[in-house]
Amino acid sequence: MNWKVMSVGLLLCIPLIFVLAKGFNYDPRALPEELTGEMAPDFTLNSLDGYPVALSELKGSVVVVNFWATWCGPCLQEHGELMKTAEDYKPKGVAFVGVLYGDTQAKAEAYLKKHGSAYPTLLDEAQRTNIDYGVAGVPETFVIDREGRIVKKYAGPVTQMELDVLLSDLLTR
Amino acid sequence: MISILGRSMVLLSLAVCVIGTFAGIAGGAKRSETAWKWARISAYLGALTMTVAIGLMEYALITNDFSVSYVAKVGSTTTPLWVTIVSLWSSLEGSILLWAFVLNGYIAAFAWATKGKYVEHSSYALGASLSIAVFFSFLVAGVADPFIAMDPVPTEGPGPNPLLQNHILMVIHPPALYLGYVGMAVPFGMGVAALLAGKIGAAWSTALRRWILLPWGFLTIGIILGGWWSYEVLGWGGYWAWDPVENASFLPWLTATAFIHSALIMERKDGLKGWGIVLLLVTFLLTLLGTFMTRSGVFNSVHSFTQTPIGPVVLGYLGFCSIVSLVLLSTRIDVLGSQKKDVPVVSRDSMFLLNNLLFAAFTFTVLIGTVYPLVHEAMTEKKLSIGEPYFNELGIPLSIAIVFLMGVGPALPWGNIDQKDAFKRLMLPIAGALATVIFAVAVGATGFMPLLSFGVSGFALMTTLRELVEPAAVRVERKSESWGTALWTVWSKTRRRTGGYIVHIGVIMIAVAVTGSGAFKELQDVTLKQGESIEVQEYKLTYEGKETVRESHRQSESAKVSVQRNGRDIGLLEPKLNNYYRMGSVIGTPAVHNFVDEDLYLNLVNMNEDGSIVGLQVITQPLVLWLWIGGGVMMIGTLISAWPARRKRSTASSTPTTDQETA
Repeated sequence: MNWKVMSVGLLLCIPLIFVLAKGFNYDPRALPEELTGEMAPDFTLNSLDGYPVALSELKGSVVVVNFWATWCGPCLQEHGELMKTAEDYKPKGVAFVGVLYGDTQAKAEAYLKKHGSAYPTLLDEAQRTNIDYGVAGVPETFVIDREGRIVKKYAGPVTQMELDVLLSDLLTR
Repeated sequence: MISILGRSMVLLSLAVCVIGTFAGIAGGAKRSETAWKWARISAYLGALTMTVAIGLMEYALITNDFSVSYVAKVGSTTTPLWVTIVSLWSSLEGSILLWAFVLNGYIAAFAWATKGKYVEHSSYALGASLSIAVFFSFLVAGVADPFIAMDPVPTEGPGPNPLLQNHILMVIHPPALYLGYVGMAVPFGMGVAALLAGKIGAAWSTALRRWILLPWGFLTIGIILGGWWSYEVLGWGGYWAWDPVENASFLPWLTATAFIHSALIMERKDGLKGWGIVLLLVTFLLTLLGTFMTRSGVFNSVHSFTQTPIGPVVLGYLGFCSIVSLVLLSTRIDVLGSQKKDVPVVSRDSMFLLNNLLFAAFTFTVLIGTVYPLVHEAMTEKKLSIGEPYFNELGIPLSIAIVFLMGVGPALPWGNIDQKDAFKRLMLPIAGALATVIFAVAVGATGFMPLLSFGVSGFALMTTLRELVEPAAVRVERKSESWGTALWTVWSKTRRRTGGYIVHIGVIMIAVAVTGSGAFKELQDVTLKQGESIEVQEYKLTYEGKETVRESHRQSESAKVSVQRNGRDIGLLEPKLNNYYRMGSVIGTPAVHNFVDEDLYLNLVNMNEDGSIVGLQVITQPLVLWLWIGGGVMMIGTLISAWPARRKRSTASSTPTTDQETA
């Protein structure tokens, strides 16, 4: 009897099967919201203009972080909505940042020139921030409160109205 | 009537498989020719009854016999004949029936091919494989029964999933994958046999390699066809997304590939036996995991299969097989007794070990990334998803390392080697790498990872080509044969080796194609009025007008776009939007033109009411064509390698001659 093989095998198989069995209780199509209620992972990334933006520096204000790419159709759909929301809420102290997902600086610049831009877009060249936020596909939008906690995650395009409701609520808190 | 007949056939198959399982194990344990014969007869009968069952189902489908539950579920009097025939695998119950049929077919082929050879091993292997057939017959007879009698009998059915009619690849990609998945049951049985018998000779290793090559080839082709389908149909311009179901097919492919390489060490060096068997068993367990992932509804995937009743049953079986495998491995693995030898650090042997290490690491990476969201949810009750960045960040370096090894391993001789000689052998590949990088830069490639990947591919290609040509060069020199004769003689005499290297060439093509299309994809959205033209890179696109086609199941609007490249007419591309009445959703079909150097890919994003204005997405992706060509080359190489030798092998011998080929 080779106990080494047995124990390694059991160590691999039992948790795997246990986890798969537990999977029956979950709806795989529900949105991932692991980070909701947690402190938002910090990042310091360079903007397209070349200056660094750190999330920690924005602490004290409500922050909207939008992951997007030029090749993503739904991102274009929400682009106008986000711009309008940003124009309304920037004077009230809400910070907006875009984070580029799997795309190049040159394309992003051309895109923003064409479609307009109301807030900085950051380059996540090491993909670290994408992974920290568990971004599975773009667009995904995170809303972070004044204490730096993620209050809401949107997967798919956001609308001005959704953000309106959430942001005015957060600002009155 | 057909319900009763079909069910009886399935139950009969279940019964003979049970008998065959016991007969096979008894035949192996007692080395009884009689018991072994009964196992073989059971295998033939199992295949026969399943063939009749599947024939009955096809008959019921074609004659629209709605008294059979499966026909009532997927049939319709209005579907075209070919769709009716393939709707056998358009839904769960039919797929499982096909699965059981293929499995029984494989086992019968194995019984026939090993007749009279190595009693103990063959009999055990038959018993073990038949026990898997028991499980699948049990599924067909129970939770996934397609033969339930309908009462009252409906007069019309809904017809199969309309996506099935969207593209021919949707029809051939699933069965190709099934042939791959299911076929892994036979090597599993052979691995179990080796453990039960407590020994594994060179002949059994050779047989094992052959029996795993065929399903491996189907798995390869199934994965590539899946990517092709996704590329041609889904309209996102990609072919691989690290979707859980894609990963499910990739996992056993990785371990089977590792086994195919470790089997060479098993056969030539009498080593890595325990490890090789572990790989075999794991490969089969991963195909079960894949079945579970695809069919349980536990994973979120583009393959939107609904929650099905077979999920828990398959999981239970996966658990059972894992335990049986573990008990067998831990009690018998030391009996196999590998030769423990010191392996020189730089040698072909060590490269094989490294290769297996990398494949194992790759398997873990993919498995963890696929299952981790579930682990996380089980522990914290919160959702999480793992996207492409994780897989790409780990998978790309691993793939580059594997291609690199493909260039180093074959360049080195077996066993001890002089460092200087080793370096000399690597000069040509290094030159190939440099030339490739220079060429890539010259045609505009940039970036560290893409250039590294191209370089490593050039490196591996030179080694592979040299391995294919060098033996012939020796003959030309020594025997003054013509190049044609020399190449033909060498290649046909060492088919297994030649096939292997051809597969390597296919893999290199795919590596180059994935690098080019992944790193240098360009995308642009354009809006065109009728008659208007636009220049996109070297292309000139003119929107000529729309066309509407009404079919019984869908209405398609297509935009006719005439294309010129560098002023040369390419023709008309027609991206479409299909409205499937039954699904109530619009599905686009992109139009793709393959050039040797790149693909032009058009998506129809939207169109105004009268079709005078269209929104198009224009994607250009270098080298995509080589992905599919590489897949074809891999298949050809596999066939060359796996095709049974014409020479008659010695029969009724437990220790046949070893294969003298060098690989």
